[in-house]
Amino acid sequence: MAEFLLRAEGLTKVYPDGTVALSGVDLTVRPGEVLGLLGENGAGKTTLTKILSGLLPPTSGRLLSPRGQVRFHSPKDALKLGIGMVHQHFALVDTFTALENVALGLGRVNLSSLRKKLEKLVEETGLHVPLDVPVENLAVGERQRVEILKVLARDVEILILDEPTSVLTPVETAELFKFLRNLRDQGKAVIFITHKLKEALAVTDRIVVLRRGKVAGEVKTADTTAGELARLMIGVEIEPGHRPVELALEGEPKRAEAGGPKGEAVLAVKALKVRSDTGELAVRDLSFELYPGEILGIAGVEGNGQTELVEAICGLRRVEAGSVELLGRNVTNHPPTELYRLGLGHIPEDRWKYGVILSFTVAENSILGLQRERGFSAAGFLRAWAVRRHAARLVQEFSIQTAGLSAPVKSLSGGNQQKLIVGRELSKDPKVIIAAQPTRGLDIGAAQFIRDLLLRLREEGRAILLVSADLDEVLALSDRVAFMYEGTFTGVARPTELTAETIGLLMGGVKAGSG
Amino acid sequence: MSWIWRGLRPILESVLAGLIGLGVGALIMWAWGYRPWPAYVALFKESFGSGYGLASALANATPLILTALTFAAGARAGLFIIGAEGMMYMGAMAAVALSLFQLPSGFHAFVALLCAAAAGILWGFIPAVLRAYRGVHEVISTIMFNWLSHFLSFYLVANVLVDPIRAEKTLSIVKTSRLPLLIRGTDLSLGIVVAAGLALLFYVFFWHTVAGYEVRAAGANPYAARYGGVSPQRTVLLVFALGGAAAGLAGAVEVMGRPPTYAVYSGLTNLSGFGFDGIGVAMIGRIHPLGIIPAAIFYGGLQAGARLMQMEAGVPFEMVRAVQGVIVLALALPELTRIFKVFFRSIQRKGART
Repeated sequence: MAEFLLRAEGLTKVYPDGTVALSGVDLTVRPGEVLGLLGENGAGKTTLTKILSGLLPPTSGRLLSPRGQVRFHSPKDALKLGIGMVHQHFALVDTFTALENVALGLGRVNLSSLRKKLEKLVEETGLHVPLDVPVENLAVGERQRVEILKVLARDVEILILDEPTSVLTPVETAELFKFLRNLRDQGKAVIFITHKLKEALAVTDRIVVLRRGKVAGEVKTADTTAGELARLMIGVEIEPGHRPVELALEGEPKRAEAGGPKGEAVLAVKALKVRSDTGELAVRDLSFELYPGEILGIAGVEGNGQTELVEAICGLRRVEAGSVELLGRNVTNHPPTELYRLGLGHIPEDRWKYGVILSFTVAENSILGLQRERGFSAAGFLRAWAVRRHAARLVQEFSIQTAGLSAPVKSLSGGNQQKLIVGRELSKDPKVIIAAQPTRGLDIGAAQFIRDLLLRLREEGRAILLVSADLDEVLALSDRVAFMYEGTFTGVARPTELTAETIGLLMGGVKAGSG
Repeated sequence: MSWIWRGLRPILESVLAGLIGLGVGALIMWAWGYRPWPAYVALFKESFGSGYGLASALANATPLILTALTFAAGARAGLFIIGAEGMMYMGAMAAVALSLFQLPSGFHAFVALLCAAAAGILWGFIPAVLRAYRGVHEVISTIMFNWLSHFLSFYLVANVLVDPIRAEKTLSIVKTSRLPLLIRGTDLSLGIVVAAGLALLFYVFFWHTVAGYEVRAAGANPYAARYGGVSPQRTVLLVFALGGAAAGLAGAVEVMGRPPTYAVYSGLTNLSGFGFDGIGVAMIGRIHPLGIIPAAIFYGGLQAGARLMQMEAGVPFEMVRAVQGVIVLALALPELTRIFKVFFRSIQRKGART
């Protein structure tokens, strides 16, 4: 009879769209322990914690507290049982002080007694934060502490932290870890969600590894290694040379096995530094080269700087330092239209943000970025006929299902929107194609269409930078795979040279050759 | 088939909204003991049932078409330009000031219109630059500029452009600079042609030119527009200039084409409100240049019919205004709900950036 605070049995979650996020997950949360939840994108970490904190009901399975089965209808029910969650994205009122933010949501409270309580909490836990400064004047790390205080002030026994270090500096991370151990020593339970192997090894006592909605393994931190965790995270299905995605091509594509990049680099990124929206350095000193006729895949857990890297290359985000060279020309911080005139095509990660204008028609969207080209404009007027002909050609060539050229793009399915974007970008006849998450959210048919297309383009001698969170996809399509972690590459290799363990290590932030 | 439906849908929505407005207005009158049917008959008989009434409806619509274009141009680019009122005053001042010069008939009016458009553009320049390069929200800056324009015009009317004989108004527009009346004995001048013509030009610009495409793209999805090579700064400057020109012309046609005085009264009483009414008209017209024309005529008709509704049906003036307000609100509602979504998104976006 192990003592426990919360136990989950056979948790299964099926989303309305049919996605199975969790299937039969068992989990025990014990007092005085930091429990790590490790897994890559889509492993089910977030879904699991949402269920534990009352945000989502499970499809089946049950939750047990020491006093019997419990059922959460909202986060409030979970809080009553002493389960509190700190989300990745903060929910603070910027103009309120830390004290006021904590008071908010507690109902009627006496501020001075709350202050005493918080001061005591701060003392006990070492979670120092100025109580009377508006939150907008605090550093990100301090804001996170306010979030944690908010939860602790409700006397929780189980504290859940979702990727808490993703916004922190190394110093702040070290302080957070110290505090988490403090909390553990006071007999509370901490659930620490991460995809970073080093952190999981550094701060936890026990690690549960999730893979594709199932528990892939449970280990005592003291008895495990980064290698074992990596294997558990990635799974054993990927053997050297294994090609998990079936490629429905007529004839196998010839891979660049003859070896070595051919010709001059068409895209060269040198010592690139780019900041994220929040001002953190998202890409740190990154360098690589892309050659004609190859697909360079960038794998890695999302949020490690891939988005910022792509935006910087495509002229949509300011480059802080370093340079981007396209076909031998320095194009650092040049506007997007100039880049595509030189030969850059960009399939953006966020279709609805950069890819299409939802309220515009298919025809209007088919020339976005091309509107000033001579074929489509004459003396400042749009040549409506030429635009429609162009759109009609894309619709036919890429078999886009649409009610018509004048139908708004929002009436198209995701796959057809993506085909329209891809078609438009290819009509620019690019030498270099940046494909960011090109198959995300697409049905199998559309995804296969895009993958085949990328391979065909590679055969034609175009250079493709493929950024994808879908590891299978990257491994199947790429000639070389780079693993991105916290803004740099932890390693670059041919897919055939990779084992599950090395992939896991590289994705988890252990540099090639150092682990 | 579906494209026909897409084109008809907004019209059907507006008709339905109008009927609901009329219904609610009728309920209000009925609740206070007035008979709705004769009141509505009087309203529409006056405004659309007679040649004279129709001419007044069109005359009332003239400045409204133009100020509505100002708002619509902004809204198409995702901006909320509330500054038509101030730009319009400046246009009127420019038109009056041009009467200090002597030019050949007709040509004089043409030059006066051009100067009025330029005055409107100038008045929008500072808010436009602040918005484009400093991110100052245009709602705040254009409202402030409305007040600046208001008091500047007050001063000009009373001290600079004042009629030496009749101090309650400015100099009258000289004959060579007046817009000819289309129908004698009415207020309907060539201004309606200017206004409708500009609406047509706006339509061509927004839907058939590359720059118009880019402006609409920036309004519908600023990220995708930037990705497509559209400069956000240029878009803001361009739209403010278009809107300023339209609003400046609104002030000019109102003084150059309104008998009998062809002047601005002290207190700006014969001008004030057109800029704000234009926002409502733009909403009723679905911020579409061609939708704005019928919307403005309808709005102008409501104003023209108010008098007879009061006299013939015995509905007090306050009640007439209330009922008309309900009708206008109902008509504006479909666009209003859409535009508020965009508006709050733009505020949130700005909040997230800091």
